[in-house]
Amino acid sequence: MTKEDTTVPKVFYTQPDGTERVVEAEVGDSVMQTAVRNGVPGILGQCGGSLSCATCHVFLDERHADDFAPVGEDEDDMLDVAATDREDNSRLSCRLVLAAGQEVRVTIPETQL
Amino acid sequence: MTTTPGTEYPFAPVPPTEAVKHLGRIIADRPMTKMTMPYGGDVWLVHRNAAAREILSDRRFVREPFRTGERVVPFFVPFPDFLRGTLQFEDPPQHTKLRKLVQKAISPKRVREMRDSAVAFANELIDGMIDRGGVRDLVPEYSLSLPIEMLSNLLGVPSSDREKFERWSSSTLAVAGKSEAEVAADMAELAAYMTDLIAERREEPRDDLLSALAHARDRDETLTDAEILPIAFILIVGGFDNTATFLSTGVLALLSDDEQRARFTADPDGLAATTAEEVLRHGGFATGRPAGGGGGLVPFVATEDVVVDGQLIAKGDAVSIDPSAAGHDPAAVTDPARFDIARPDNPHLTLSHGLHHCLGAPLARMELQVGLAELFKRIPELRLAGEPVFSRDVLTQPMTSLPVTW
Repeated sequence: MTKEDTTVPKVFYTQPDGTERVVEAEVGDSVMQTAVRNGVPGILGQCGGSLSCATCHVFLDERHADDFAPVGEDEDDMLDVAATDREDNSRLSCRLVLAAGQEVRVTIPETQL
Repeated sequence: MTTTPGTEYPFAPVPPTEAVKHLGRIIADRPMTKMTMPYGGDVWLVHRNAAAREILSDRRFVREPFRTGERVVPFFVPFPDFLRGTLQFEDPPQHTKLRKLVQKAISPKRVREMRDSAVAFANELIDGMIDRGGVRDLVPEYSLSLPIEMLSNLLGVPSSDREKFERWSSSTLAVAGKSEAEVAADMAELAAYMTDLIAERREEPRDDLLSALAHARDRDETLTDAEILPIAFILIVGGFDNTATFLSTGVLALLSDDEQRARFTADPDGLAATTAEEVLRHGGFATGRPAGGGGGLVPFVATEDVVVDGQLIAKGDAVSIDPSAAGHDPAAVTDPARFDIARPDNPHLTLSHGLHHCLGAPLARMELQVGLAELFKRIPELRLAGEPVFSRDVLTQPMTSLPVTW
């Protein structure tokens, strides 16, 4: 097993006011699940990751743009109806599933509802 | 049979602080309790927040057997037939298809766009109450009027038909006080009204939900009137009855707590969002009304043996979430007995979670936020002028009267 395989993934959540919180995640969890389980404000994830609420919208740091599967059709539809206008780096954080050793930086939008 | 003192479930209404302690003891004792409902037999009522979330996110729990009639819904009253025909009782992929159609019309974005008109209408209602003066009844004059107006806009029905909606809604959820014939007549009238309106919107589409549903049929042959009608029904029923009760409960909770009310009136806009969540979690308890244990959201059926939090839920067992317990689980909520309108992390399950989370949640939240903020901005000296009245004739036991003055 390589060193990377055992490294716990980390998510760096930046709030709209610039404050940052780092959370250690479980491999296979999404950025949304990690936020909800750890009480990170600003990510609601109402639908639990079934692409039907748009309340886990985040802006993904551009350095990670290629680390995840591209935006799918359903995700694209939901991003269009998120409460905070989408930008080029918008993602639903339920789609950002974490692998061992991964470090991800996301910014939380002003509002989800 | 012996029971451990203080952990029995269900339990009869007791003072709210005692109810929270009782729920805490149950939660410490076990994740869920099997109980026999007045209708439909046994169901696991889930108390712990994490276990509840796990179940609500697990697709091995379905509702198909309730929809088809293979199983009776374990519930407190015979479950209204028409509700079993709504997308609440569909599983994927049909659920996904129907939900997507409605989703965009009450999405966070659309609701944000509706916010200004909600603020304007709330202020019109407040103007009316101020003009009339004296003792006003907040439920008909404010809490019900605001969500009905919003729903009328959303669905594209004239708000002048408001009184009909109130009658139809109370009829569809009636558990007493109306004969079966009266309920059936009201339901038939509602169906005829909506059918006519859908036909009109097919002819002349507008920018409203019924037009979107009517024309979705043109794009997708599989969406029929029979599918559109229950969606419209559940939006009408769920669209204002629950929101009105949340709003009335929120006002009563604030009027019952001088410290929190002072905090809220000092910064209504800043605290509206967290206050709304706290009202959803704990508002009923904060009004001081006795609270019992034994409530549950619409149940699911396990399609295979599933172990949750150490408890086996066998294939075919029904399972339901108790949102009161889940909202007062000390593992998920700090100091759960405290009504704290600035609570930063509030993982209550009152509007459910997962695939079947409340479709109207963004709208309900916005209306609750706007309704509370505008009222206390305009009338910070609002106070109770009598006892609230609740209806036991309707499934949701809504508040029907809340006398206030200032």
